[in-house]
Amino acid sequence: MDLINPTVVDLSRFQFALTALYHFMFVPLTLGLTFMLAAMETVYVVTGRKVYKDMAQFWGKLFGINFAIGVATGITMEFEFGTNWSMYSRFFGDMFGTPLAIEGLMAFFMESTFVGLMFFGWDRLSKPAHLAITYLVALGSNLSALWILVANASMNVPEGAHFDPDTMRMQFDSFVSVVFNPDAQSKFVHTSVAGYVSAALFVMGISAFYILRGQHKEFAARSFRMAALFGIISTVAVITLGDVLGRMDYEKQPTKIAAIEGLWHTSKPPYEPWILAALPDDAKQENHFEIGVPFVLTPLITHEFNTPITGLHELQDAAGPRIRSGIEAVSALRRYGETHQQSDLDIFHAHEGDMGFGFLATRHAPNQDVTAIPATALDQVVEETKPDILPNVFVTFWAFRLMVFLALYFFALFAISAYLSLKNKLERNKLLLRLCMWSIPLPILATEFGWITAEAGRQPWTVFNKLPTFMSASTHSTSYMLFSLAGFTVLYSIFIAAELYLMFKFARLGPEEHGSAHGNAEPAYLHATQPAPAAE
Amino acid sequence: MLLLRLAGLALTLVVALLFAVFVGDQGPWYFAWVIGTVMIILVSGAGAVLFDAQMDSSQDREV
Repeated sequence: MDLINPTVVDLSRFQFALTALYHFMFVPLTLGLTFMLAAMETVYVVTGRKVYKDMAQFWGKLFGINFAIGVATGITMEFEFGTNWSMYSRFFGDMFGTPLAIEGLMAFFMESTFVGLMFFGWDRLSKPAHLAITYLVALGSNLSALWILVANASMNVPEGAHFDPDTMRMQFDSFVSVVFNPDAQSKFVHTSVAGYVSAALFVMGISAFYILRGQHKEFAARSFRMAALFGIISTVAVITLGDVLGRMDYEKQPTKIAAIEGLWHTSKPPYEPWILAALPDDAKQENHFEIGVPFVLTPLITHEFNTPITGLHELQDAAGPRIRSGIEAVSALRRYGETHQQSDLDIFHAHEGDMGFGFLATRHAPNQDVTAIPATALDQVVEETKPDILPNVFVTFWAFRLMVFLALYFFALFAISAYLSLKNKLERNKLLLRLCMWSIPLPILATEFGWITAEAGRQPWTVFNKLPTFMSASTHSTSYMLFSLAGFTVLYSIFIAAELYLMFKFARLGPEEHGSAHGNAEPAYLHATQPAPAAE
Repeated sequence: MLLLRLAGLALTLVVALLFAVFVGDQGPWYFAWVIGTVMIILVSGAGAVLFDAQMDSSQDREV
């Protein structure tokens, strides 16, 4: 397998990061807002109060704007796997392609079909039928996320597949193992519920804006109440699942968890502090300063008090034998590809588990060929390869911390907001309302930081311990990559401008301008004991 | 008709229990997501209903 230009690999990574992070600005809102719409419509169907229908319709419009641009940016990413990551797709396509295809055929089609009915079916469907459609849209959007995260988890914790030396790619063993991969489970719930938090703060922030301006008060106070309660439980859930994911990384991806914690040396339980802030130096492999809370790290990660957590130095040293073994595996694989001798196949199988580490060493081998490493140079190649197993600690460490600090802030904000809303004391707390308003983009940022933690933390692998990132990209020219990167940047800048313009426009207009019979005022039946008119 | 409805509800209950047992065993976090999402929606909806009740009772007091 020939290596490609490192600049092309970096540009491919940058382009994927750009498009993925951009797409992910829209996804959380879609995931959460659909279930918030379902909650509002459920109250409408149960109580018959029209204001909840207005709420579902108004927030549904904002959801629609977000959904349209989210879909457009998601489709480009699916093509990128083929255009920019063809080596990866060749190696891992069997595994990755299946959940991706199910996502398109089942979840995305389901979501897209029912979105139309949700928007245009208000006057054509009965109340329960429309409610069922809204739930199906919510389910469809979250099932989309499920299959994407199943695919992602199969890269992070590859289970349910084996490498076939004849076809030179990973092949499917068990669909059930892929779907019920513990990493997929916790990642899906964590991401989905993070979307609920984003949607709750979005609704709460815009409602706070109306309350501050004295507009649509009844509408805004109800929306705020529902969003605050939706948000507080979601935030608790997202923190709980974050802990589960941390535990998963501790067991399956030790380099990621050590990088997240800035842990250069194996921890000394139970004293080891949880580092609040530090300046990790990847070149010198140390932290320049640390502020930490003692006795927290060990129980936080291991859920025990006396279990040490392996540090990055020790993980790097422990990789030495695996790199040697991997070089044996790749060399045997290469010979087997040429001669098909059973003896070579046997050697390969003996070292198969370390194959990825052998691929990692190709960068340091003469002519990028591990079979050409002379016995005298083997130690040097292994030593040069060792640091390659570590992710970028600075990026992983700070992306994780920013996400965690934001999650704790959301918890406090939702808790206070829910309390004041339940006590009907919102209007007196203008500072809180302003905070809610200005905090609208923060959950989106938090989910972006979460994504960076997960993806930067699993480097240098696209398929963990199996396929290095530098061997995964396509063999494009640098100019092609620069051209497509510039194209995406321009196109996506236009998209974000359109999204923000439409969001601000419709949010400022408020519910009155969108077919609602009332904004500040409410019809008489709203406060009556009898149900709403049948027409509604 | 009532018997038919009861049978339908009983069947739904059995299917739900089987689903809970299977998914709870094989995919505990998927199961937690289903239960958790339903709970979040119900609590959020209950908050709205409570809001209406609070408004109604404050209006009654004013009257």
